[in-house]
Amino acid sequence: MASSQLSNKIRRLRFDNGQMTQQQLADKAGVTRQTIIAIESGKYTPSLLLAFHIARAFGLSVEQVFQYDSDDSPPQH
Amino acid sequence: MNSLQKKAWFELFTTTVAVIISGIGVGILVHFNAKGVVGLMSFLIAGLIVGLYSHLREVRLWANLDEREKKIAFRAFVLGAYTFVLFVVIASFATLFLIGGRGRIAVYALPVISLIGIFISQFMSSAAILIRFAREQADGQ
Repeated sequence: MASSQLSNKIRRLRFDNGQMTQQQLADKAGVTRQTIIAIESGKYTPSLLLAFHIARAFGLSVEQVFQYDSDDSPPQH
Repeated sequence: MNSLQKKAWFELFTTTVAVIISGIGVGILVHFNAKGVVGLMSFLIAGLIVGLYSHLREVRLWANLDEREKKIAFRAFVLGAYTFVLFVVIASFATLFLIGGRGRIAVYALPVISLIGIFISQFMSSAAILIRFAREQADGQ
């Protein structure tokens, strides 16, 4: 079974967006600051909906914020 | 302290109080050897009031939780449910093994087992939430 992990650039994007605080991002995404901290540190994988909310808070697409790192290549159709 | 932590403390407190009051109620019923509808009705009414209040409060609290907190709360609930089932099973079999297959047991033992089970279940559920957040704070979150 291939191992996979979701990494993100939230910390960097916050600083690139006028030193946005975790609380400000949490308010925009509609979650608590603790949840943002957990996502930033990779301890919690957000739902697709929350990932969209966070990406929208930065004005970016989901793929620009979250990266899927996997050992195997995507299935060929 | 976030809303989930407050919920855990509140539920632990209210369950403790409810179990103590119910225990006293069982004690009174046992003392007077009460039977029939009166004892049953008093417990049903008290249970209905506590249950309705808890349900309304739960609905309001649940709406304020984000998806991660809901997951934590759900896992804690599952842990509490497993604990309750496990406790009741162990208590039932322990009674069988301690007293024997042809022994006798007082009828109040069953509600007492249920009350202790409810308390342990809620304790485990609340403790799981509080320990989770305490560990996160210890990790610098």
